[in-house]
Amino acid sequence: MRRFRKTFTWLLLILGAIIFMLPFIIMIGNSFETFTFSLPNPPRLLPKEFTLDNFKEIINVYHIFNYFGNSVFITFVTTIIVIFISALSAYAFAKIPFRGRELLFKLYLFTLMIPGVLNIIPQFMLINELGMIGTRRGLILLYVGTGICGNTFFLRGFFEAIPNELIESVVVDGGSHFTIFKKIVMPLAKPAIGTLAILVLLGTWDDFLTAKIILGAKESLLTLPIVIHRINGQHATKYGLVFAASIITLIPVMLVYTINQKFFVVGGIGEGAIKE
Amino acid sequence: MKTNLVKKRTHTKSNKIYNKSWQAIIFILPGLILAIAFIFYPMIKNIQISFSDYDIMSGKLTFTGLNNYKELFNESQQRFFTAYRNNILYAVVVTPITLFLGLIIAVAINSIKKFSVTFKVIYYLPVITSWIIAGLMFKYLFNPGIQGPINYLLVNILHIIPQPINWLKTEWGGNISIWILGIWKNIGYAMLLYLAALQGINKSYYEVADIEGATGLQKLKKVTIPLIKPTSFFLTIQLLIGSFNVFLQVLVLTGGDPRGKTSVLQYLLYTRTFKLYKFGEGAAIGILTAVSILIVTLILNKKMKVDY
Repeated sequence: MRRFRKTFTWLLLILGAIIFMLPFIIMIGNSFETFTFSLPNPPRLLPKEFTLDNFKEIINVYHIFNYFGNSVFITFVTTIIVIFISALSAYAFAKIPFRGRELLFKLYLFTLMIPGVLNIIPQFMLINELGMIGTRRGLILLYVGTGICGNTFFLRGFFEAIPNELIESVVVDGGSHFTIFKKIVMPLAKPAIGTLAILVLLGTWDDFLTAKIILGAKESLLTLPIVIHRINGQHATKYGLVFAASIITLIPVMLVYTINQKFFVVGGIGEGAIKE
Repeated sequence: MKTNLVKKRTHTKSNKIYNKSWQAIIFILPGLILAIAFIFYPMIKNIQISFSDYDIMSGKLTFTGLNNYKELFNESQQRFFTAYRNNILYAVVVTPITLFLGLIIAVAINSIKKFSVTFKVIYYLPVITSWIIAGLMFKYLFNPGIQGPINYLLVNILHIIPQPINWLKTEWGGNISIWILGIWKNIGYAMLLYLAALQGINKSYYEVADIEGATGLQKLKKVTIPLIKPTSFFLTIQLLIGSFNVFLQVLVLTGGDPRGKTSVLQYLLYTRTFKLYKFGEGAAIGILTAVSILIVTLILNKKMKVDY
């Protein structure tokens, strides 16, 4: 009975894993297919003849690495700014008592219940009024602005866990909150900040809607998801091309994920929210 | 002198941190300004826009009362209600299946020692794949005709259906494709949270169950599932709210075809606003969606009382 259950578990896991991997395998296989509009018939997992034509075209004709650069720039700047500002806020919410703190924090929490995209129209208008449509500044500003509440909430949980004695000892020595923030809280919270940075990084890298609406008109600044979607719409979908572009977009994500796998497994994603 | 100083220090120790609470302003301010500008203000502004017409050239808002809402309910009635229906169907179909499969996989991974990390990575891959890319993969899988791998599987290998289905261009074919993509992409997330919850369960519960002679299934039903209830609750809320967030699946897979029959609220919001420049109508859709989500959350909070 026990052995039967074990075999069954393994069978289930392996079968599931194959189903989960299949779309990826098909994507990779297709990116090496010969360049054509029609799909191979019957469908096959791996191409008959391997060719790099799709990758060549996506690099030379579609200049994918220009857009790759755009994505990298926007993602990094956004992540650094949003984490820094959220950490400042989270510190105040966790460790500096001030009037109205709980109420303000509840407001921050409340906004998390409403999907961010529903505010996209007034946000678009605001960026428009600031004259920042079609600029990186505009896009980054919007990312940072919409990221504050969630990330502050996430970091506060970790900051609260830092013992007050540590903080008081600095206060006794005449240190300011800035010193505490810089010398104690930030170094101690490195794992939490690392986890959050990865989440923000991946979220920004994959964002489609915000980038499309803010950058829309500015061809040279577009990010990878928009470009992939655009190539997809241009023809009767040349799958070889879109999959080649997709693979180039996915590689950094996979790298970040596998290198930092332990961050994901430790959780952090929902943990803080569950305890609430 | 020395003792005096020490005394003074300990005396003011507790107050000193409070005396510096003005510094909180400097810590909070950058974030607060941004949150007000890009979250709190837009939330309120959205209400105003939903009652107005917006001229993108001049940037002027003209009050038009309930016009936008009327438009949604009357003229384009079908479109709005179909989209709303599709969101609800998505929630009803995708949420339980995702929870169920996520739990099964988590229990399975939790019970093995070797390769558990490998399986975790594999099942989590779809979660970190962007919706655009995942959507394209599934667009390929659901291709019409026998070239589409799913059709090929169903017709030529399994012989379940006689004819290939035009998945993405029919009402139910399209919706089913959207659900399957949603399930495939969400399971890893459910699995991860369930794994964390499972690892938090005290082993002694199972020891007691073993002594009592409980079977595996009984243990799952009587021990595991009740103990991971908070996680299930959290995931249910997340997935239900997430089902109002469906957008890119539709954009990539069906484009709302045929005639808006696979459209969802956010897709409608996007096309009305940024393709047809009906900002007021878009905002009205946004308000109605937000209200729906609030109601769902409140009901769930009441119904599913959980001890944390």
